[in-house]
Amino acid sequence: MTPPKIKIESLDFYYNNHQILSNINETIPENAITSIIGPSGAGKSTFLSLFNRLWETTPGARVEGRVLARFHHSFMDINTPKFSVTQLRRAVGMVFQMPNPLPMSIFNNVAFPLKLAGIKEKEAVQNRVTAAIKACGLWPEVKDRLEKKATTLSGGQQQRLCMARALVMEPEILLLDEPTSSLDPRSGAMIEELMVDLKQRCTLIMVSHQPDQVEKIADHIIDFTPGPES
Amino acid sequence: MSALVCCLLVLLILGFMIVTGLPLFGQSQAMDLLTGAWSPRNNLYGIAPMILGTLWISLLSVTISFPMSLGCAAYISVLGGHKKATVMKGCVQMMTGIPTIIYGFVGVFLLVPLIRETAGRGSGMCILSASLVLAVLIAPTMILFFIQSFDRVPRSWLDAVDALGGSRVQKLVYVVLPACVKGIVTGTVLSFGRALGDTLVALMIAGNAVQTPNSLLDSARTLTSHIALVSAADFESMEFKSIFLCGAVLYLITAVVILGARLIEKRGNHE
Amino acid sequence: MNRWGEKAVYALSVISCMMLFGSVATLLCYLLIKGLPALNLGLIFGSTPVGDALLLKRQVFDGIFPAMAGTLALILLAITIAVPLGLLAGIYMAEYSGRFTRNVFGFLFDLLSGIPSIVVGLFGFSAILFLHHHVSEALVPSLLVSALSLAFLVLPYIVKTTQMALETVPRQTRVTGLALGATKLQNIVFCLIPESFSTILGGIILAVGRCAEDTAVIMLTGAVASAGLPNSLFKGFEALPFYIYYISSQYADQAELNQGFGACIVLLLICATLFILAAIIQRKVKHTLLYRH
Repeated sequence: MTPPKIKIESLDFYYNNHQILSNINETIPENAITSIIGPSGAGKSTFLSLFNRLWETTPGARVEGRVLARFHHSFMDINTPKFSVTQLRRAVGMVFQMPNPLPMSIFNNVAFPLKLAGIKEKEAVQNRVTAAIKACGLWPEVKDRLEKKATTLSGGQQQRLCMARALVMEPEILLLDEPTSSLDPRSGAMIEELMVDLKQRCTLIMVSHQPDQVEKIADHIIDFTPGPES
Repeated sequence: MSALVCCLLVLLILGFMIVTGLPLFGQSQAMDLLTGAWSPRNNLYGIAPMILGTLWISLLSVTISFPMSLGCAAYISVLGGHKKATVMKGCVQMMTGIPTIIYGFVGVFLLVPLIRETAGRGSGMCILSASLVLAVLIAPTMILFFIQSFDRVPRSWLDAVDALGGSRVQKLVYVVLPACVKGIVTGTVLSFGRALGDTLVALMIAGNAVQTPNSLLDSARTLTSHIALVSAADFESMEFKSIFLCGAVLYLITAVVILGARLIEKRGNHE
Repeated sequence: MNRWGEKAVYALSVISCMMLFGSVATLLCYLLIKGLPALNLGLIFGSTPVGDALLLKRQVFDGIFPAMAGTLALILLAITIAVPLGLLAGIYMAEYSGRFTRNVFGFLFDLLSGIPSIVVGLFGFSAILFLHHHVSEALVPSLLVSALSLAFLVLPYIVKTTQMALETVPRQTRVTGLALGATKLQNIVFCLIPESFSTILGGIILAVGRCAEDTAVIMLTGAVASAGLPNSLFKGFEALPFYIYYISSQYADQAELNQGFGACIVLLLICATLFILAAIIQRKVKHTLLYRH
């Protein structure tokens, strides 16, 4: 087992007065695929949103407890106010259940995070975008139409484009919320292969509903199925 | 059935105006009326000064109101926190309920003296005063329209920007605004129509002098105030009949504005 | 975009909020400061005893009671005319019209709602003058003419609200009645209208507010500066917004002006009450919609 990348300590999550998660203690290993499983409504996606603080965009949401992540050799609580949420989200990429390309060209979609981060040198942008698209195995399919709208791609291609977009900032952690559930089996398999490849440079956390997928690629499992006592 | 009646009524209004306005066309060329001067003593009934006055006031008020509304809408739907934004949105909705006459009344007794003293000349009843009041009057509707269009931006796009570490301003500038260009244009066009059709603010504050305005501090008369002022005149007089031309012009501009807004919206749907 | 650019965008947006809210707040404060001292029973009833005025025993001459009564009568009449027509047209638009008619009529209603109110007033005015000259000398601008014109003004609004309310009834509810063997008409009357009733009611209340505040239409179609309490459909009448307009241009002394400010506050209160009522009714709908799932 690889060393831990993230540690979650006695964490509670509330939405208004409704408790979604209670007293969670988990460790997430580095350079591995951690899979979160459990029935719908158990709070899997909420759990995933803890790692990039995306839950903050939901009015009425509140967190108690600590989420410690190791970015520069030491663990830090990512929920402390002095931890910049922008920096956090640039180091933690996310891929959603439905592919969500932005309404711009294929190239600009992948270049968008660089633009957000204020990286402007043309050559650097070009190289990093190309590298990210290649890493997702999308290059042969899109190299001739980088200026076309991203919505012209198929669902599977769009999802890989979204992965390329998440990878262009070279994140240390990649979150995936049921990344293959809206895709056909072939595209799904491509995404799975890609995830296994990514283990070398990322820590991956994935919500999944497909038991065979979990069995095939997950190194570590967090089960959200309620125990018999609850 | 009743829908049919309503539609017939619309056509009836237009027809009525053209029929009653016809004698005007008999006396002189139609273009003369639209572009000519107003001087009843010399038998000149051109409504050009009123058309110009209307355009000056409504364009200026939209120009003032547009950046203000865009900023407010941006704050309420993207930049501001959730709680503050909800309260502010409620306030803006309440503002749409403030009667026009109240804007006019306060304008007359608060803004007009202020402008008079600042400008140092004139009565203070001028294009600028009317436009300022009108800008505040049309802002709430414009803001609500913008917010509505901002809220239609797919949630998944916003999530994408959030997850990529974009700030709220970046979300606004790179994703929300480009996606809402059509909504923003439509909202502005409709507000322009609203400014055009407003009677009381211009009637009470713009001074109503019939002249071709040269500066913002000049008094002006709009088509709408012209109707209100002249309607007291004799039914058979030419002066009176000219207001039907004003009505028809207003009607036509409104129709063009609404048609334009509809077309923009339609094109948005096809893409 | 660099950090300064970002800050500038944020600052501009905050400044525009402050400008708008600042000016509206100034407006309201000015109104309150000037108008509150005038706000008492004397403003409404003048020197006439309240009981006598309410029981119509004596005329009120120096208060705004006749104007308030006029506005009330106007609203009641206009709404009584506009609501049935608007409801029927809305139902027609939502449930019976074909695609083509819906598009064409939809455009016409948009157009109608965009017509400047003064043009609607002008139409009412010239129609009654036409009748005055060609049918009967007794027909003059009056309460009835104003009410008809106002009804015409708010009609498209009611049509649109009704249409939208009906069209947004969820499919599930829409087919439930039909599945139980209701005819189309029964389905509309017993299922769809009750379902969307609150939205429609909210729309109607906003239309009432529009009637209460409109000045441009009534100044052409029958509002006069002094007429006493409205007692006939075919005579001129007083109305609150017109009274305010009249004061703003014709006030003789400070006392009359103060009365104008008082009248502004009364009108504002009436409109605010109507508005909040509409908001509460429509919000209640939203809540039931939220909690049903």
